[in-house]
Amino acid sequence: MDSLILDAVSVLSTAGWLFIVSAGLTLVFGAMRLINVAHGSFYMLGGFLMTSLAASSAGIRFWWALALATLVVAVLGALLEVTILRRIYQKDHLVQLVATFAMMLIIADVAKTIWGSRARTVDAPAAVDGTLTVGGASFPTYRLVIIAAAVLVAVALWVMLTKTALGWRTRAAVEDPELLSSSGTNLTLLRTGTFALGAALAAFAGAVVSPQLAVAPGSDTSIIVAAFIVTVIGGLGSIPGAAIGALVIGLAQTIGTSVAPSWAATSIYLAMILVLAVRPSGLLGVAER
Amino acid sequence: MTGSVRDVDLATPRRRRVANLVGPVALLVAMVVAGGVLPATDVFTLRLVVVYALFALATNLLIGYGGLVSFGQAAFFGAGAYTIALGWLHWETSFWLTLVLAPFIGGLLALVVGAIALRTRRLYFALLTLAFSQLFYVVANAGYEFTKGADGVFGAIVPEFLRGRNPGNGYLFILAVASLAALALWKVTASPFGLVLRATRENRERMEALGVNVYAHQLMTFVISGFFCALAGALYVVAAGSATVELLDWGQSGHAVYMTVIGGMYVFLGPALGALAYTFGVDYVTQSGLGHWQLFLGLALLGMVIFRPDGLAGLLSPATWSGWVAKLRGRADRGSEPEGRR
Repeated sequence: MDSLILDAVSVLSTAGWLFIVSAGLTLVFGAMRLINVAHGSFYMLGGFLMTSLAASSAGIRFWWALALATLVVAVLGALLEVTILRRIYQKDHLVQLVATFAMMLIIADVAKTIWGSRARTVDAPAAVDGTLTVGGASFPTYRLVIIAAAVLVAVALWVMLTKTALGWRTRAAVEDPELLSSSGTNLTLLRTGTFALGAALAAFAGAVVSPQLAVAPGSDTSIIVAAFIVTVIGGLGSIPGAAIGALVIGLAQTIGTSVAPSWAATSIYLAMILVLAVRPSGLLGVAER
Repeated sequence: MTGSVRDVDLATPRRRRVANLVGPVALLVAMVVAGGVLPATDVFTLRLVVVYALFALATNLLIGYGGLVSFGQAAFFGAGAYTIALGWLHWETSFWLTLVLAPFIGGLLALVVGAIALRTRRLYFALLTLAFSQLFYVVANAGYEFTKGADGVFGAIVPEFLRGRNPGNGYLFILAVASLAALALWKVTASPFGLVLRATRENRERMEALGVNVYAHQLMTFVISGFFCALAGALYVVAAGSATVELLDWGQSGHAVYMTVIGGMYVFLGPALGALAYTFGVDYVTQSGLGHWQLFLGLALLGMVIFRPDGLAGLLSPATWSGWVAKLRGRADRGSEPEGRR
């Protein structure tokens, strides 16, 4: 029983963290047909900013640092969209992959210059620090914060995309951008906003996980591979798909770790290969012609 | 993005065919001479250039000719390298035997990977090939007893005369094998098979309607690419004298893709040009003590892909030059606009 609770918390917190990152990636792909390799860079920047802000002598409170780190990266995302990405929306996937990969390299170099190559982490606030014991199982209390954050993000995105005008505009931007534009929506601004939101989600994930998982150079490449796997399993462009993909990977990782620890790293790739072998466009994806 | 002028026409007149040969032959002669003239450190780098040139050419069969962006070619490159390294380590297999065996093992592996990956399209394909190569990477990493994992396999893997103090021997050997392989790849692209491949890139539905089994055709292409990627990996062992798990990492697949993009994917030898610029560029930045190689590589890639999507080869093409000359003379003749500059 206690190990079951432990596993469940482990699966959910891994899935929650992966979901927040992947939701941003899949949102940007869904709304703009842009595949962003630099998404992992936003995640890493969020983590680095968080550790700097929360540890600084200015005494910025944990939650404020979280909000600030997210906001700064959102602004950076908007700037990159305006200066670079706007040029490559109409280009094919290879151009997008290489251009955003180049952005990832540049950001990684700048981040290394600023923060060095040491792994950084941050203390969780006292209220959610320490361990929690439920039914004989002990786990870090902070894991519940990550799960809660993921649920919050999921609900907020669902409300935004299905209940607000902004949401249907975002969805319409994929279906028929020209008609949307001619009926009075500022498409350019909408795209910048969507990209900034995607960047913000990545940064938020990096910042919120930083008390549990240290951020270091290389965090960008490892998270982007994981986020790609999650979104591809769920189906590119589908936010519910990202949630399912995150759960699949969370499960695969937890099972893999308990069955064969030294081979655990293979489980997420096997999961992806298995899913795509059966459903070539992911679980909730629409077949691309 | 889809111009109709980016490939050599199958029906080129004989005179142009001969003219087309002048460039590659001159290049080959220059490469041989460079091996004799340049200092040993540069010859060592040149060995890697030739290895990566073959790797990039084989990758470009998929990317440029097939329109299939694979981020997993490192799987086959690594398979080729490990065929030689592990054969030597565990069974003391003859180098020549494993050298011949390596591309076939790569091709066989490509058959399995391709059979699954080619069921998917575009980004799914790119990411699924990436997942396969990462799977091999983590397996090689975890199977330390067999592969020596992150430590890598080092030692007197290749015959004495290819090692030696004179890097020129190894260089000429690598150059000879790679040139023959490049010739074979060129034959593939210039054949009716290559034409169908390009036509499928442009319009898959039409080719299906014409009765082409697109899946089988692309699978064959994937196997050919895997075959030559593995041969490049085998030659890598000659060049570097070792095999490490990094050869299987997706970063390694990335190298081939960037070389292709930098060099130009719509000219046959473009990726080889990219390999030259990329390898010496990284070498130069690392040795100059400037640091920040990621920054420079990033800026170069970004500039290339946004301003010159046809790569260095496009920059060097006669069409581009005559376009510039025309511009300089102030002749805004739309008909003579440089190709591929939409």
